Amino acid sequence: MQISFARIFVLLGVSICLLARAEGAPQGGGDFSSNAEARKLPTGTILVKGAWSSASDSVTPVPEGGRVANNVYGNKYFGLTYPLSPDWIEKYSGPPPSDSGYYVLAQITPAGTFKGTSRGSILVAAQDLFFTLTPARNALELIHFSKDNLNADYSVEEPPTEVRIGGHSFVRFDYVSPVAQLHWSVLATEIRCHAIEFVVTSRDTKLAESLIQGMNRMSLPGDAGATLGSGGGDVPVCIKDYASGENVTERVDPIFTERRFNLVPVRIIIDKEGKVKHIHFLSAFPEQAKAVTDALFQWRFRPYVPDGHPVEVETGIMFGRAARRATPQSTSAATE
Amino acid sequence: MEPIKRASVLAILAALLLPGLANAQSDPGVRPGAINGQSGATATSPLPLASVAANNPSGSLEFFQNGLARFQDVESVSNSPTGNNGLGPRFNFNQCSGCHSQPTIGGTSPATNPESQVIANGIVSGSTNSIPSFITSTGPTREARFPFFFDANGNPNTNAPNGGVEDLFTVSGRSDAGSCSLPQPSFSTAQSTNNIIFRIPTPVFGAGLVENIDDSTLLANHSAQANNNLGISGTFNHNGNDGTISRFGWKAQNKSLLLFSGEAYNVEMGISNEIFGQDRPLPGEDQLGSGLPASCLNLSGTGYPEDTTNFSATGSSDQFAQNASINSDAVAFAEFMRMLAPPVPSTTTPGGSTSISNGRSLFSSIGCATCHTPTINSTQPSHITPSLGSTTVKAFSDLEIHHMGTGLADNVSQGGAGGDQFRTAPLWGLGQRIFFLHDGRTNNLLGAIEAHASSGSEATQVENNFDALSATQQQDLLNFLRSL
Repeated sequence: MQISFARIFVLLGVSICLLARAEGAPQGGGDFSSNAEARKLPTGTILVKGAWSSASDSVTPVPEGGRVANNVYGNKYFGLTYPLSPDWIEKYSGPPPSDSGYYVLAQITPAGTFKGTSRGSILVAAQDLFFTLTPARNALELIHFSKDNLNADYSVEEPPTEVRIGGHSFVRFDYVSPVAQLHWSVLATEIRCHAIEFVVTSRDTKLAESLIQGMNRMSLPGDAGATLGSGGGDVPVCIKDYASGENVTERVDPIFTERRFNLVPVRIIIDKEGKVKHIHFLSAFPEQAKAVTDALFQWRFRPYVPDGHPVEVETGIMFGRAARRATPQSTSAATE
Repeated sequence: MEPIKRASVLAILAALLLPGLANAQSDPGVRPGAINGQSGATATSPLPLASVAANNPSGSLEFFQNGLARFQDVESVSNSPTGNNGLGPRFNFNQCSGCHSQPTIGGTSPATNPESQVIANGIVSGSTNSIPSFITSTGPTREARFPFFFDANGNPNTNAPNGGVEDLFTVSGRSDAGSCSLPQPSFSTAQSTNNIIFRIPTPVFGAGLVENIDDSTLLANHSAQANNNLGISGTFNHNGNDGTISRFGWKAQNKSLLLFSGEAYNVEMGISNEIFGQDRPLPGEDQLGSGLPASCLNLSGTGYPEDTTNFSATGSSDQFAQNASINSDAVAFAEFMRMLAPPVPSTTTPGGSTSISNGRSLFSSIGCATCHTPTINSTQPSHITPSLGSTTVKAFSDLEIHHMGTGLADNVSQGGAGGDQFRTAPLWGLGQRIFFLHDGRTNNLLGAIEAHASSGSEATQVENNFDALSATQQQDLLNFLRSL
């Protein structure tokens, strides 16, 4: 047994060395000890923003306004509440919306108190179907596009199939990376002309499945669905390209004073009288947002009157340069 | 009793060792062996592209060698017998290859930082300059920037974005600098107020290939990476003059290698040239309405710009060598960078071919390759040399700028890139780099990977995927990265 214990100590020593190597990350840095009276810039804060999201008021909900509070992800814009599994948290918030209308709404990972041995994550994302780079008109087509363009690192486990989550229609698509032994389950539905995607990633399919089952506790607008979905209630109907042609009765073009080269995707809500009620910039420099705001509030539209009663309309306009590519001409990216 | 004892020992072993094994992955460190993976390359002789090595077109090899030689020139203020005058009045170092030297000339920060030796080596006067505390002998070579100007009380003024390079040293006190008297920027104030960020040199191997990718190719790759289920959606920086995609520098702020070299010559070494024609004051000096004092202008005595086209050819009787000598330094640097061969990855080191191959697959599978695109197809036909034309670019970059979050944000805006947006760093040659990330904050690959996750970063989800891998898989991925 003396020899056995000697082996144990040798192995223990090796183990400690390996741990030490894995954690050691030499850091450079500055000397912050002097000039203690000076006002310091905050650390870990993005003060200088490039093209960023903004809105004409801070009251009207916007897609990126969702938050995790009391272990529930809530998003007023999408009418979505999603209770997280116990011991799962949002450690890091996502980046700002992209100029192609992609949102990282939440990134959910196990907390330090999580008892399970497997890891995994839930990415809650949204793709604005007015500005998508992919030729998809609804959530179903977007997921089929994913499947049809899956790269060689992945294998399809389950092709896109309509499922019910929390009583609502979703499309579910499962694929796996055989080499990483990582499984992806993508569940998507459509709300307000956005494909809302829940991407569950884990090596443990049981864990993934339990997370998906947990989504049944989610609350969504009544008519969210894989191919069509409004926000329900009093939210505006969304109509692709409504701000075009004869629908626009008065138009003042914004004047950009700086040459920027970026795309400026904008969502607007048109009230029942045909005036712009709200402007949401997915991505714009501040001076661009101001120029577009000044112009858009002068636009007038033909009110949208579907059943003899005017209703509010939400639509998208791309400023900056021309849109990168035209998405298929269709009224499908609309709730009407 | 014996079986019980054995079981106990095994249980103790499992309890003690398994956690250790689970975290056993580690950065293999700088890959030993052939420099840049190229047979024949040395620490002072990087290899040119194959067609340049074959001197196709005739004379191209002379231009490469001429550029390489000038990249190593030591610049003076006014007394260089070889004519390399114009250094300063502010600068970070006096030789391109001083900072771009790992693992060979054209690379990035070396193991021993030459900026830490400038007083000892007589490059600057110790009576007028001090070595900033963030410059250390074993740290990375760095340039410093102040994200914001200071107000009159010495506090950062967030209404006044700066972001320009604050050169580390001045020529004041040098015997060849006349009466020019300039103070160094107040790095201690900047540090005490968190108003300072750093950048390390970007390696330029294979840069000519990057330069020769058409915008349409990059845009097609951008579209192909959309809808990736990873939380990633980048964009491009653009050149303010012609509106096309820019691609060099940490924020892809520079359009071309000529612009890149002209700016570096002016900003890092203080040498005016045909692209940046004046000596450069610090950002604040122009803001204050003063610029550089007259006593610090035209220190070289040559007039401006200090680096020009050489109208009289010099050199040997070799006609091509004479032709190359006509170039300005800035053009010669650009030619050198353009004709530098890209690094060649190892298929066996570190960890063996199976581990590297597995790591490559993992790199792609977990999503790293969405931004660090392994191969861009392809360059345009080249009017310079055949190796630059109609070929793939295995740079491991989409050349897009991505939001990297609060953890990496430097609050410097360049072109269309905001304070947290960075170009996807090309990973070719990574295996022989010492320092990582834009500021060289770590020399540990694991630390660099972990830094990809923070609030606001597009790479958080991919970093989560990395964390989900087994220790063995993570080690394979690290081995793969060090094979590049």
